[in-house]
Amino acid sequence: MNDDLLRQAFAELRRVEAEQAPPFHGPYVEPALSRLRSRLKPVLRLAFAALLLIIVVLSFRRPPEPSISAWKAPTDFLLATPGRELLQSTPDLKGIRR
Amino acid sequence: MQRAEMERAMEELHPASYGWALSCCGRNREEAEEVLQNVYVKILEGKARFNGRSSLKTWLFAVIRLTAISQSRRRALRDVLTAKWARREIAPVATMPDAAAETSQVCASLVDALRKLARRQREVLELVFYHDMTIEEAAAAMHVSIGAARVHYQRGKKQLLAQMNGNR
Repeated sequence: MNDDLLRQAFAELRRVEAEQAPPFHGPYVEPALSRLRSRLKPVLRLAFAALLLIIVVLSFRRPPEPSISAWKAPTDFLLATPGRELLQSTPDLKGIRR
Repeated sequence: MQRAEMERAMEELHPASYGWALSCCGRNREEAEEVLQNVYVKILEGKARFNGRSSLKTWLFAVIRLTAISQSRRRALRDVLTAKWARREIAPVATMPDAAAETSQVCASLVDALRKLARRQREVLELVFYHDMTIEEAAAAMHVSIGAARVHYQRGKKQLLAQMNGNR
Protein backbone atom coordinates (compact mmCIF):
# COMPACT_ATOMS: atom_id res chain seq x y z
CA MET A 1 0.00 0.00 0.00
CA ASN A 2 1.54 3.30 -1.05
CA ASP A 3 0.78 6.95 -0.35
CA ASP A 4 -1.98 7.16 -2.95
CA LEU A 5 -3.86 4.23 -1.48
CA LEU A 6 -3.40 5.72 1.96
CA ARG A 7 -4.79 9.00 0.64
CA GLN A 8 -7.78 7.18 -0.85
CA ALA A 9 -8.46 5.43 2.44
CA PHE A 10 -8.29 8.72 4.33
CA ALA A 11 -10.50 10.41 1.72
CA GLU A 12 -13.08 7.66 2.19
CA LEU A 13 -12.94 8.11 5.96
CA ARG A 14 -13.27 11.88 5.55
CA ARG A 15 -16.30 11.45 3.31
CA VAL A 16 -18.02 9.11 5.77
CA GLU A 17 -17.30 11.32 8.78
CA ALA A 18 -18.29 14.53 6.97
CA GLU A 19 -21.69 12.96 6.32
CA GLN A 20 -22.05 12.25 10.02
CA ALA A 21 -21.03 15.74 11.12
CA PRO A 22 -23.86 17.45 12.97
CA PRO A 23 -25.11 20.69 11.38
CA PHE A 24 -23.18 23.77 12.42
CA HIS A 25 -26.09 26.01 13.28
CA GLY A 26 -28.29 23.62 15.20
CA PRO A 27 -26.33 22.06 18.00
CA TYR A 28 -23.22 24.23 17.88
CA VAL A 29 -23.46 27.95 17.55
CA GLU A 30 -26.87 28.42 19.17
CA PRO A 31 -26.04 26.51 22.39
CA ALA A 32 -22.66 28.22 22.40
CA LEU A 33 -24.34 31.61 22.22
CA SER A 34 -26.95 30.68 24.81
CA ARG A 35 -24.18 29.42 27.09
CA LEU A 36 -22.45 32.72 26.56
CA ARG A 37 -25.64 34.58 27.45
CA SER A 38 -26.33 32.36 30.44
CA ARG A 39 -22.80 33.00 31.68
CA LEU A 40 -23.23 36.73 31.25
CA LYS A 41 -26.64 36.85 32.97
CA PRO A 42 -25.44 36.16 36.54
CA VAL A 43 -22.65 38.69 36.10
CA LEU A 44 -25.09 41.33 34.91
CA ARG A 45 -27.50 40.50 37.74
CA LEU A 46 -24.74 40.74 40.30
CA ALA A 47 -23.59 44.07 38.91
CA PHE A 48 -27.15 45.41 38.99
CA ALA A 49 -27.66 44.21 42.58
CA ALA A 50 -24.38 45.80 43.65
CA LEU A 51 -25.38 49.09 42.02
CA LEU A 52 -28.77 49.00 43.75
CA LEU A 53 -27.11 48.29 47.08
CA ILE A 54 -24.73 51.23 46.67
CA ILE A 55 -27.64 53.56 45.82
CA VAL A 56 -29.65 52.37 48.84
CA VAL A 57 -26.66 52.69 51.19
CA LEU A 58 -25.85 56.19 49.92
CA SER A 59 -29.43 57.43 50.15
CA PHE A 60 -29.98 56.13 53.69
CA ARG A 61 -26.64 57.24 55.05
CA ARG A 62 -27.14 59.77 57.91
CA PRO A 63 -25.05 62.93 58.07
CA PRO A 64 -22.17 62.70 60.58
CA GLU A 65 -23.07 63.32 64.26
CA PRO A 66 -21.97 66.82 65.46
CA SER A 67 -19.43 66.97 68.25
CA ILE A 68 -20.95 67.60 71.74
CA SER A 69 -18.58 70.54 72.37
CA ALA A 70 -19.75 72.26 69.20
CA TRP A 71 -23.45 71.73 69.98
CA LYS A 72 -25.66 74.75 70.46
CA ALA A 73 -29.20 74.76 71.75
CA PRO A 74 -31.73 76.07 69.27
CA THR A 75 -32.94 78.64 71.85
CA ASP A 76 -29.43 79.83 72.60
CA PHE A 77 -30.13 83.22 71.03
CA LEU A 78 -32.66 84.06 73.78
CA LEU A 79 -29.82 84.23 76.29
CA ALA A 80 -28.14 87.01 74.33
CA THR A 81 -29.93 89.82 76.25
CA PRO A 82 -28.98 93.50 75.99
CA GLY A 83 -26.24 94.48 78.50
CA ARG A 84 -25.18 90.88 78.90
CA GLU A 85 -21.54 91.78 78.57
CA LEU A 86 -21.78 93.85 81.80
CA LEU A 87 -22.81 90.76 83.70
CA GLN A 88 -20.05 88.64 82.21
CA SER A 89 -17.16 91.06 82.83
CA THR A 90 -15.43 92.13 86.08
CA PRO A 91 -16.01 95.80 86.96
CA ASP A 92 -12.90 97.98 87.08
CA LEU A 93 -12.87 99.40 90.63
CA LYS A 94 -9.77 101.57 90.04
CA GLY A 95 -11.63 103.61 87.58
CA ILE A 96 -14.28 104.65 90.19
CA ARG A 97 -13.56 108.06 91.78
CA ARG A 98 -14.94 109.43 95.01
CA MET B 1 -11.47 39.37 12.60
CA GLN B 2 -15.10 40.36 13.02
CA ARG B 3 -17.40 37.98 14.84
CA ALA B 4 -19.74 37.43 11.88
CA GLU B 5 -16.76 36.77 9.65
CA MET B 6 -15.36 34.31 12.19
CA GLU B 7 -18.71 32.52 12.44
CA ARG B 8 -18.82 32.16 8.68
CA ALA B 9 -15.28 30.80 8.57
CA MET B 10 -16.04 28.35 11.39
CA GLU B 11 -19.12 27.16 9.56
CA GLU B 12 -17.08 26.58 6.41
CA LEU B 13 -14.47 24.62 8.36
CA HIS B 14 -17.04 22.79 10.48
CA PRO B 15 -16.93 19.36 8.73
CA ALA B 16 -13.12 19.38 8.81
CA SER B 17 -13.13 20.58 12.41
CA TYR B 18 -15.50 17.79 13.35
CA GLY B 19 -13.24 15.24 11.66
CA TRP B 20 -10.23 16.62 13.53
CA ALA B 21 -12.12 16.66 16.84
CA LEU B 22 -13.05 13.02 16.23
CA SER B 23 -9.41 12.23 15.67
CA CYS B 24 -8.34 14.06 18.85
CA CYS B 25 -10.98 12.20 20.87
CA GLY B 26 -10.17 8.70 19.64
CA ARG B 27 -13.20 8.81 17.32
CA ASN B 28 -15.63 9.12 20.21
CA ARG B 29 -18.47 11.18 18.79
CA GLU B 30 -19.89 12.49 22.06
CA GLU B 31 -16.52 13.70 23.25
CA ALA B 32 -15.74 15.21 19.86
CA GLU B 33 -19.00 17.16 19.86
CA GLU B 34 -18.36 18.40 23.39
CA VAL B 35 -14.83 19.47 22.48
CA LEU B 36 -16.03 21.26 19.37
CA GLN B 37 -18.75 23.06 21.30
CA ASN B 38 -16.22 24.21 23.92
CA VAL B 39 -13.92 25.41 21.16
CA TYR B 40 -16.70 27.45 19.57
CA VAL B 41 -17.61 28.94 22.95
CA LYS B 42 -13.96 29.83 23.57
CA ILE B 43 -13.73 31.56 20.21
CA LEU B 44 -17.05 33.37 20.50
CA GLU B 45 -16.21 34.51 24.03
CA GLY B 46 -12.88 35.81 22.81
CA LYS B 47 -10.84 33.51 25.06
CA ALA B 48 -9.13 32.11 21.96
CA ARG B 49 -8.12 34.82 19.52
CA PHE B 50 -6.88 34.39 15.99
CA ASN B 51 -3.78 36.55 15.55
CA GLY B 52 -3.15 35.80 11.89
CA ARG B 53 0.26 34.21 12.43
CA SER B 54 -0.90 31.02 10.69
CA SER B 55 -3.87 30.10 8.53
CA LEU B 56 -7.24 30.10 10.28
CA LYS B 57 -7.54 26.34 9.76
CA THR B 58 -4.17 25.65 11.39
CA TRP B 59 -5.04 27.89 14.34
CA LEU B 60 -8.51 26.35 14.75
CA PHE B 61 -7.07 22.84 14.64
CA ALA B 62 -4.49 23.79 17.30
CA VAL B 63 -7.29 25.11 19.54
CA ILE B 64 -9.30 21.92 19.00
CA ARG B 65 -6.28 19.77 19.79
CA LEU B 66 -5.41 21.64 22.99
CA THR B 67 -9.04 21.66 24.14
CA ALA B 68 -9.35 17.92 23.52
CA ILE B 69 -6.13 17.24 25.46
CA SER B 70 -7.15 19.38 28.44
CA GLN B 71 -10.66 17.91 28.44
CA SER B 72 -9.28 14.38 28.38
CA ARG B 73 -6.91 15.22 31.28
CA ARG B 74 -9.78 16.71 33.28
CA ARG B 75 -11.87 13.62 32.62
CA ALA B 76 -9.02 11.33 33.67
CA LEU B 77 -8.49 13.31 36.87
CA ARG B 78 -12.21 13.26 37.63
CA ASP B 79 -12.26 9.51 37.08
CA VAL B 80 -9.35 9.08 39.49
CA LEU B 81 -10.92 11.34 42.10
CA THR B 82 -14.22 9.56 41.94
CA ALA B 83 -12.39 6.22 41.83
CA LYS B 84 -14.28 5.39 38.70
CA TRP B 85 -11.36 3.44 37.37
CA ALA B 86 -11.82 0.90 40.14
CA ARG B 87 -15.42 0.22 39.19
CA ARG B 88 -15.07 0.51 35.46
CA GLU B 89 -14.98 -2.67 33.48
CA ILE B 90 -12.72 -2.90 30.54
CA ALA B 91 -14.94 -2.49 27.54
CA PRO B 92 -14.13 -2.14 23.89
CA VAL B 93 -13.98 1.45 22.72
CA ALA B 94 -17.49 2.28 21.58
CA THR B 95 -17.10 4.57 18.64
CA MET B 96 -19.34 5.25 15.71
CA PRO B 97 -21.72 2.40 16.56
CA ASP B 98 -24.29 3.21 13.90
CA ALA B 99 -21.72 4.25 11.35
CA ALA B 100 -19.63 1.14 11.67
CA ALA B 101 -21.83 -0.73 9.26
CA GLU B 102 -21.65 2.02 6.70
CA THR B 103 -17.92 2.34 6.92
CA SER B 104 -16.17 0.36 4.30
CA GLN B 105 -13.66 -2.34 5.08
CA VAL B 106 -10.82 0.03 4.18
CA CYS B 107 -12.11 2.69 6.58
CA ALA B 108 -12.53 0.21 9.39
CA SER B 109 -9.05 -1.12 8.84
CA LEU B 110 -7.65 2.42 8.69
CA VAL B 111 -9.37 3.49 11.93
CA ASP B 112 -8.20 0.32 13.62
CA ALA B 113 -4.62 0.86 12.48
CA LEU B 114 -4.70 4.53 13.51
CA ARG B 115 -5.74 3.59 17.04
CA LYS B 116 -2.58 1.55 17.40
CA LEU B 117 -0.29 4.47 16.59
CA ALA B 118 1.26 6.89 19.06
CA ARG B 119 -0.78 10.09 19.49
CA ARG B 120 1.61 12.40 17.65
CA GLN B 121 2.13 9.96 14.79
CA ARG B 122 -1.63 9.63 14.41
CA GLU B 123 -2.10 13.39 14.55
CA VAL B 124 0.48 14.21 11.90
CA LEU B 125 -0.80 11.52 9.55
CA GLU B 126 -4.39 12.67 9.90
CA LEU B 127 -3.44 16.30 9.37
CA VAL B 128 -1.50 15.45 6.23
CA PHE B 129 -3.67 12.76 4.65
CA TYR B 130 -7.13 13.53 6.00
CA HIS B 131 -6.94 17.33 6.10
CA ASP B 132 -4.50 17.86 3.22
CA MET B 133 -2.10 19.94 5.28
CA THR B 134 1.60 20.20 4.65
CA ILE B 135 3.97 18.85 7.30
CA GLU B 136 4.84 22.47 8.20
CA GLU B 137 1.18 23.29 8.79
CA ALA B 138 0.71 20.09 10.75
CA ALA B 139 3.71 20.98 12.91
CA ALA B 140 2.18 24.39 13.63
CA ALA B 141 -1.18 22.84 14.56
CA MET B 142 0.55 20.32 16.81
CA HIS B 143 2.91 22.84 18.41
CA VAL B 144 5.99 20.78 17.52
CA SER B 145 9.03 21.58 15.39
CA ILE B 146 8.99 20.73 11.70
CA GLY B 147 11.79 18.24 12.25
CA ALA B 148 9.85 16.44 14.96
CA ALA B 149 6.72 16.43 12.79
CA ARG B 150 8.71 14.87 9.91
CA VAL B 151 10.01 12.12 12.18
CA HIS B 152 6.51 11.40 13.51
CA TYR B 153 5.20 11.38 9.94
CA GLN B 154 7.79 8.93 8.63
CA ARG B 155 7.56 6.53 11.54
CA GLY B 156 3.80 6.79 11.73
CA LYS B 157 3.32 6.13 8.03
CA LYS B 158 5.58 3.12 8.15
CA GLN B 159 3.69 1.66 11.10
CA LEU B 160 0.32 2.50 9.63
CA LEU B 161 1.12 0.74 6.37
CA ALA B 162 2.45 -2.26 8.27
CA GLN B 163 -0.68 -2.40 10.39
CA MET B 164 -3.01 -2.08 7.43
CA ASN B 165 -1.16 -4.69 5.42
CA GLY B 166 -1.30 -6.94 8.45
CA ASN B 167 -5.04 -6.42 8.80
CA ARG B 168 -5.67 -7.41 5.22
